Amino acid sequence: MTTAYRLWEIQERSNTGPLMDENDFLPKLFTPKLQEITKKYEIESDLSNPVPVDDDMADRIWKAGWELFREVGLYNTDTHRIIQVSDDEIKEALYMHRGQYWVGAGKDAVLWKHRQVEDTEPPFCIFSGDATCDESMHFSQCLAYLKEPLLDGFCAPILEDSMGQKIRSASPFEINGCTQHIYNLRQAAKQTGRPGTFFVAVGTAEHDSGQIAVSNNEWGVRTTDTRIIGTLTEFKTADTLLNRVVHCAQYGCYSGNLTGPIYGGWCGGSEGVAVALVAYSLNGLCIYGSIFNQHFPFHLNWGSNTTRELLWPISMAGQAMARNSKLLYTSNGFANAGPMTEMLFYETACHALVSTVTGWDLWEMASTRNKYRNRATPLEARIAAEVGHAVARQGMKREQANEIANKLLAKYEDQAATAPMGSQYQECYDVEKAIPTTEHLDMFYKVKDEIADMGVAFLY
Amino acid sequence: MSLDELCQLVSTGKTDESTALVEKLIGEGIDALEIISTLTDAMGEVGERFSRLEIFLPEMMLAGDAMAAAVDTCRSKLLEGEAPKTKGKVILGTVKGDLHEIGKNIVKLMLEANGFEVKDIGYDVDSLVFIKAAQEMDADFIAASSLMTTTLPHQKEIIDLLKGQSLRDKFKVVVGGAPTTQEWADEIGADLYCYDAGSAPKQMAALLNG
Repeated sequence: MTTAYRLWEIQERSNTGPLMDENDFLPKLFTPKLQEITKKYEIESDLSNPVPVDDDMADRIWKAGWELFREVGLYNTDTHRIIQVSDDEIKEALYMHRGQYWVGAGKDAVLWKHRQVEDTEPPFCIFSGDATCDESMHFSQCLAYLKEPLLDGFCAPILEDSMGQKIRSASPFEINGCTQHIYNLRQAAKQTGRPGTFFVAVGTAEHDSGQIAVSNNEWGVRTTDTRIIGTLTEFKTADTLLNRVVHCAQYGCYSGNLTGPIYGGWCGGSEGVAVALVAYSLNGLCIYGSIFNQHFPFHLNWGSNTTRELLWPISMAGQAMARNSKLLYTSNGFANAGPMTEMLFYETACHALVSTVTGWDLWEMASTRNKYRNRATPLEARIAAEVGHAVARQGMKREQANEIANKLLAKYEDQAATAPMGSQYQECYDVEKAIPTTEHLDMFYKVKDEIADMGVAFLY
Repeated sequence: MSLDELCQLVSTGKTDESTALVEKLIGEGIDALEIISTLTDAMGEVGERFSRLEIFLPEMMLAGDAMAAAVDTCRSKLLEGEAPKTKGKVILGTVKGDLHEIGKNIVKLMLEANGFEVKDIGYDVDSLVFIKAAQEMDADFIAASSLMTTTLPHQKEIIDLLKGQSLRDKFKVVVGGAPTTQEWADEIGADLYCYDAGSAPKQMAALLNG
């Protein structure tokens, strides 16, 4: 934990911070303050450029995010109080963050390092479909993802059922599902010869009890793995989430702060989302003590982040954090289209390219708006990682990334609202062997060739 | 000053000016029910603009607050026995174990903007509480939101409890939220699945009148 030295002083603020009616927090504090700060720092979007080259604005967004976090804090819905952090505490926490952490174990351990804008070091790639899957498909999907060469970390699909019984949050069935989840994951990692792979686990646990039940260095989630701790949209938390903060600190595993600021929601437009992303990152650092932040800003109507309304804030927030901190932060793609569609590959490539060049690490790829069971596969994550490695290694500049992003957007942005759902995992993967079908691979290589023609120098 | 100007004030979220103008218009003899009807149409248009994200949630909320204040003022002026027509009465909440509420709050706004009477019972709501609240309100709908796959079972639980209490035919059960689908709604026997907040008012009105 990055701020374990302040764990109890910060937790205590849930009991002593300013009291506020929850119904007032967003309309009367958060949004007016965000609007005021966005105006003060003169933050204006130009969506025709999804990868702007504007270092000064990036620095202003950093300052705006800092000010937003300091002024608004984090609302605890259980105690109706606001946890606030001072400037000095933010500075201290930024200093204490190491900028790099060894994650995973043994030969599979990876050094996860802060990235710069236009960094030539490839992004740290966490593979995740973020989707639920049939119980019978879970092990196969774990194998399929773990067969991916560029995988640095893995967040496995989520179980809805365990032993044929529906998993209900906070119930015994959830604990049982979490146990099944981690056993599948461990076995898949062992059988694929990557037993020490860094896991983000377990996604099946929505409640703290499920998370805590599977902390075990022999068979469960290890101290070399990480948990994800959500922040409720926008800037709210609850005791069930803070329980995880304390558990991760005392168990000794890593944690990441999961946030999803909404374009069109309380953040307003693209400018507000960019500022909120920075503020959320400081929240993850200072209040959750997370070593990384996992951000999935999304469109209110579509639930995706591959259109320019979202690429702009992703791009600018990435640049803001890359230039002004040594934090770690993953850009979590949410696509409109489903597996084995060309549109999904275009969307994923664009999201990965924009994110990588602007300093992010990658967390790819939720497809079909992260809504449908079995509709995510490792192959879309593969294109993201290959694009990420390529554009980093070739030293791609923001100007070129902007040009290619616009070309990719032209391929799909007019279909955002009507995107095809594509296929389910079992329709485009050989479930027993956990490898993509020939048809699926053919489509992958066809789109990869097109992207290469646009200027992405794939490494193989 | 006219009804058009009132609609403009409400649409732009000017609560104090809206209520002042309502008082003035009623003083000039404009029927309070006519004012409510006109404002409902105007808010419907605001809701449409929000659906297209021409305006964002904060602006929609301000307009909703101004609308509510204007309608309250109108109601206070109505004669005994008069009552504004509602398109339906709705108990709305997020199911037990689920702390997410932004989607539910947007549905509330969209329903109220389109003339529904909504009682929001919050998030992390026990299934029995949905039913008791619906009985107290004599609601037409129980609308249950869920954002997580592991809280979806509580949508089914509401329907099962209604059946267990022989109340299933008394309320239309509407489900929504990120992981919900038409298939899930069919599987649990919900009356309606709403893909998004924008489509909810029309779909629910059609269900009630169909």
